[in-house]
Amino acid sequence: MTDYIIETKNLIKHFGAKTALSNLSLSIERGGVNAIVGSNGAGKSTLFRILLGLQLPTSGTARILGADCGNLGPEQRGKIGYVNEEHTLPGWMLVQEVKAIQKALYTDWDEAIYDDVIGHFDVLPNQKVSSLSRGERAGFNLSMALAQKPEILILDEPTLGLDVVAKRAFLEALMFTTTGEFSDHTSTIIYCSHQMDEIERVADNLIIMEQGRLRCNMSPDDFLAEVGFWIVDFDAPRAMFEHPNILTQRVIEGQNHIFTFQHASNFENALKEAGATNIHRGSASLDQAVNAFLTQNHKKSSKRKNAEKAA
Amino acid sequence: MIHIVTGDPRPIFKQIVDAFRVKIVTGEIAEGTKLPSVRGLAMQLTVNTNTVAKAYSELTSLGLVEAQQGRGLFVAPRRQLFSDAEREKRLSDAVDTFVNDIVGLDYTTDHIIEKVHKKLSAVGQPISEGAARNSKFTPGNDSVDMEE
Repeated sequence: MTDYIIETKNLIKHFGAKTALSNLSLSIERGGVNAIVGSNGAGKSTLFRILLGLQLPTSGTARILGADCGNLGPEQRGKIGYVNEEHTLPGWMLVQEVKAIQKALYTDWDEAIYDDVIGHFDVLPNQKVSSLSRGERAGFNLSMALAQKPEILILDEPTLGLDVVAKRAFLEALMFTTTGEFSDHTSTIIYCSHQMDEIERVADNLIIMEQGRLRCNMSPDDFLAEVGFWIVDFDAPRAMFEHPNILTQRVIEGQNHIFTFQHASNFENALKEAGATNIHRGSASLDQAVNAFLTQNHKKSSKRKNAEKAA
Repeated sequence: MIHIVTGDPRPIFKQIVDAFRVKIVTGEIAEGTKLPSVRGLAMQLTVNTNTVAKAYSELTSLGLVEAQQGRGLFVAPRRQLFSDAEREKRLSDAVDTFVNDIVGLDYTTDHIIEKVHKKLSAVGQPISEGAARNSKFTPGNDSVDMEE
């Protein structure tokens, strides 16, 4: 049996009339860096809050480390680390004071890991927290989260607003916790971000969420292999080609630029049957592929909304 | 030493494979050179260690590098990996592509052959059948050791 560190089944969360999570069934295996991508409002933060036990789902189940998320005890909570995008810390305290409190709270605290990670950042023990830059606060938060030796580390857009140097330090520190660089302990990282360049570099697994639904859960390389990019000519100007595997389609200078998902050979045959000429198959970058994926669903949802309005 | 870019249609592991392949085939990295450790290269490029491991395993299965127990990966002696039929097919495919590209450029066959000839000798390709297959990948190496 596969060891799933996170497992949700038919997870639904409504906020009044709004649906944040819609039948989300997501399984994440132990180990590695899992990147969650989705447009704003895709349900990522809601999912995190449910996983952390801060919110209860409307229906469905969510389990983390084998325990029900709505009923986590101190033992499980001690194994879950969380870093949010705000990097909220008490500004009036000193760095060493904040660290001392954290250290006292977590029994597995490892000072060597803390020292290793904080070494990536220019943070001094007797500095006031309010004097830290955004990148330094991010690094300080990450150092504390990793020193807790969490089995799962959840990061909600941790690199938002960091400069290139701080971002690189952050990613380096993050990556080497999954490989046991700092100690024998390795964490499973769940990480949500809009930065595709980061995801391309660090993610073992790519999870795409859209409107509270799971759209994709596979390695970035496998995902990329499924996305096709085509440039073709049709005789009729501005003709749009209809096919179920199309993600997006644009006509640029008389040529159709088409992104597709899966079944590339079927698609090529369908193009030929429809009279397309000069069929050129290129490859998409991860950034383009994810974009095509998210754009497609945006369009569908606005179509659906329009249809609902008309009805 | 090697560079990768994000936003490239090639996955990062493929970029690493290609970069090493070019450097090894052109002799920029000599036979017997030790490759950076997986973690070392991952750190240097800020990419996932699994990505580097995947690239290294592909380079190994391509026969370009080989593991020495406990010491890491080393650039392997060059050897032929393909069957005769496969070699023939690859050569034909490459020639077809090449000819299609140049056919409209209005050069004489003699001129084209001369260009190709120059390019081949620049990468150390032997001219006649007399030279052993192994030697053609090691530029400037006249002695041929078939045991390698």
